[in-house]
Amino acid sequence: MKKEQLLSIVIYTLTTLIGAVAFLYPFWQPALPQTNIMGQAHANDAALILTLLVGICFVVLLLEVQGQSISTKLIALLGILVSINTILRFAEVATPTPGGLSPIFFLIVLTGYVYGSRVGFLMGALTLFVSALITGTVGPWLPYQMFTAGWVGMSAPLCRPTVWLLKGEGKWFEVAVLAIFGAFWGLVYGIIMNIWFWPFATGPTSQYWEPGITLVETLERYAVFYLATSLIWDAMRSVGNIIFILAFGLPTLRALRRFHKRFTFDYQPIYEPLPPISIKETV
Amino acid sequence: MIHPVAWLAWVSAMLVTLSMTRNPLYLGLILVWIAFVTIAIRPLASATSPIPISPVRFALVVVTLSTVFNGITVHVGRTVLFRLPGFLPILGGIITLEALAFGFLNGVVLSGIFAAFTVLNRVLPIQAIVRLIPQAFYPVAVVVSIAVSFVPATLHQFQQIRQAQAVRGHRVRGLRDWLPLIVPLLVGGLERALQLAEAMTARGFASTDTQRANSVQAQGTIIAGLILLLGGWLLRLMWGQALLGLTVLLTGVGLIGGTVWLAGRQVPRTVYRPQPWARNDWSVVLGAGVTAMTFLFSWPGLDRSSIFYYPYPTLVWPGFHPILAVATLGLLVPGLLLLRQRNDTIGRVLRRMVAERA
Repeated sequence: MKKEQLLSIVIYTLTTLIGAVAFLYPFWQPALPQTNIMGQAHANDAALILTLLVGICFVVLLLEVQGQSISTKLIALLGILVSINTILRFAEVATPTPGGLSPIFFLIVLTGYVYGSRVGFLMGALTLFVSALITGTVGPWLPYQMFTAGWVGMSAPLCRPTVWLLKGEGKWFEVAVLAIFGAFWGLVYGIIMNIWFWPFATGPTSQYWEPGITLVETLERYAVFYLATSLIWDAMRSVGNIIFILAFGLPTLRALRRFHKRFTFDYQPIYEPLPPISIKETV
Repeated sequence: MIHPVAWLAWVSAMLVTLSMTRNPLYLGLILVWIAFVTIAIRPLASATSPIPISPVRFALVVVTLSTVFNGITVHVGRTVLFRLPGFLPILGGIITLEALAFGFLNGVVLSGIFAAFTVLNRVLPIQAIVRLIPQAFYPVAVVVSIAVSFVPATLHQFQQIRQAQAVRGHRVRGLRDWLPLIVPLLVGGLERALQLAEAMTARGFASTDTQRANSVQAQGTIIAGLILLLGGWLLRLMWGQALLGLTVLLTGVGLIGGTVWLAGRQVPRTVYRPQPWARNDWSVVLGAGVTAMTFLFSWPGLDRSSIFYYPYPTLVWPGFHPILAVATLGLLVPGLLLLRQRNDTIGRVLRRMVAERA
């Protein structure tokens, strides 16, 4: 394995690790020792540092992903696909859908699945960014949304081994696997996205004034919060992903695959040195 | 006009200040300043992005939800209002005024953050935000520019497909009926992407063999930066080493920031319509900086304890420090500047009208 590839893997692992640790900080922070005013200050600035960490991890991941000599065709492909997905998001904002049902995830999942992790990550992250610009929803939640949607696209190729193993490529089985994957992310996306504001809503109070609180108790509190505020919302997203992938999955996969070869086709000109020309021949 | 970077500084200071405090007096002041800036930007905001949710409506929903949720799940505090039966898991127990107050304050903080970003969304056109993308991410910036530019074209294409299918007798009755609309849109888009790529190549885009932004050295520096970032954060949170942790954390941020800056320097960039940085922009940045620094760091002679207000265990009147209240005025600068600009313009128009009549 090349040195660069090895370093890339280290960067992916570190950013994912820090991102996960930062996202999950409300679950392990309560167990930390805190004292009086200092403790309160840390409880307050922890959310700020969390935003900083997630933002930096995202920047690093983006730099690493785009650093692998991104081609003109890939740029144009992403631009157009993001544009199509932005319109779907615009339609979602303009005509409110029930709960978290959103038509954008099916294209992120399918693009990541067909074109690979890099394109999947960029597709997820940039869809959220561009649609936030168009719909005027830029906010502190945006880095979290971009990061999480990037993870959705990035992890989509994980479905490939299951499909290959059961020889389901181009069949309904493939769509079913992707629909299950979409349903999973429909819920997980919501679970992760709640964490950016959950500490504001419940964290510091229960953490600070109940020093004996354990990880299990924190999880219990989060579960209650999730059940009370988000489960139905996220379930709608999950169901929506299943419906969209089942309804449009097969023809969309076919179209994306048809263009895959055309977009990844490349040629390398080989410059062979011309044979030396003798003076006799020229004369 | 205020520079986009100055607006970014303003919204960052707003984020810092709102995240730091739960003191209702400071929160109230900050909300008044946001409302003032919102009124001041009204003439600028009409041509820019739409607002999907009104900040007032958002505040009503979030504050109510947050108050009720915190009130019924956190059974801490001395002012007991009533008691829920103990057999209810998590919800059973005392309902206190303190828990309701804390939930209310959390809702106010979230609403303030939303309102501040609504100002940013309304005042900055999309091109200005795209221009803020650092040079190191030029491929991403190009993708974003393409996506933003192609939205109207894609919408137009969708209309054409719909009309063409309607002529063939197609009607949308169920979800599957969207298929003849979605698939041609996707295929047409992909065809257009190929044409666009060819056009870009023909115009010399990516024709030079640019160096990989992440060479081995840069990758190594980023890894070191990430390790320092994680280490600094853990030092701060787990071992209570606030200063050392912050130093290590900022060193990591510096290493990563430096690498991104160096990667950006490899990319030449030309700006056709430069937006000059004016004195007003310095005023906005200075105002935002003063507010953020006062709330973030300890200063000799300044008692910051009133920032960290908690209503537990007994709800008491929050502390108030005049210097901290004055410091929040830094967030008002953009509003004042825009109002002065507006008054100047109105004054000029009025003077011209008077002169013409005379």
